[in-house]
Amino acid sequence: MPLALLVVALCVALAGWAGWFVARDRAVVLRQLWGAAVVEGLLVVQALLAGVLALTGSPDVDAALFWGYVVTQAIVLPLAAAWAFAERTRWSSVVLLVAALTVAFLEYRLLQIWGSV
Amino acid sequence: MTDVRPTATRRPRPTGTGPGRLVVAVYGVLALAATTRGVYQVATKLDEAPVAYLLSLAAGLVYAVATFALATGRRALAWVTVTVELVGVLTVGVLSLVDVGDFPDETVWSAFGQGYGYVPLVLPVVGLWWLWRTGRGTTADADSADPSPRQPLG
Repeated sequence: MPLALLVVALCVALAGWAGWFVARDRAVVLRQLWGAAVVEGLLVVQALLAGVLALTGSPDVDAALFWGYVVTQAIVLPLAAAWAFAERTRWSSVVLLVAALTVAFLEYRLLQIWGSV
Repeated sequence: MTDVRPTATRRPRPTGTGPGRLVVAVYGVLALAATTRGVYQVATKLDEAPVAYLLSLAAGLVYAVATFALATGRRALAWVTVTVELVGVLTVGVLSLVDVGDFPDETVWSAFGQGYGYVPLVLPVVGLWWLWRTGRGTTADADSADPSPRQPLG
């Protein structure tokens, strides 16, 4: 699934960007949130694709497990973005770093679940 | 909410701002992971290992309450829930090593949270330290001046 690989790559890039900001003692900037929005957009597209595939009944994945990951994954970045507005210190960058790595990890787990089909 | 006027007395610092954001964020992720997993386990295969799966769900809910308590600065609730987590991960960790029967490798706390990169073991310790640290309050010297000023979103 190239889309999933793209998501992982973008998340790692976003995490690196945030990590660099942590090192420089800087808060999250708006440009990073646009990056996070792009990732979130891809996640929504992916969820829609997965929904279509599930309705057409092609892959026989454990639905509850799969959607648990999809929903969790969709929640993380918006929460980090909300905090970026509230916490205007380096710690918002730390949170964005953790959030991006979490999404990347969940995407990797999704690939494992999907890949086994 | 809490007022921010400086006072001479020691007052607890908020638990949900500054470095506390990281604590709350990691707690939130763990709460999501553990709760969704627990709901999934209880909903789909409760009869396989009822003790482990109900415990799994309970652990997730405790993480959720701890996240809420830390984020909103409810210190007493945070102390209780974080302590429960530490006791839980230590107890289940030992039990899962000694007696595999009741605790198949299926909860957040099994084998001291090995399946979650030992985050469940480290996090309560960090949480308790953070509660203790913020509970000492703001004194005249090092803690009083905000070490990192607000930056524009730019």
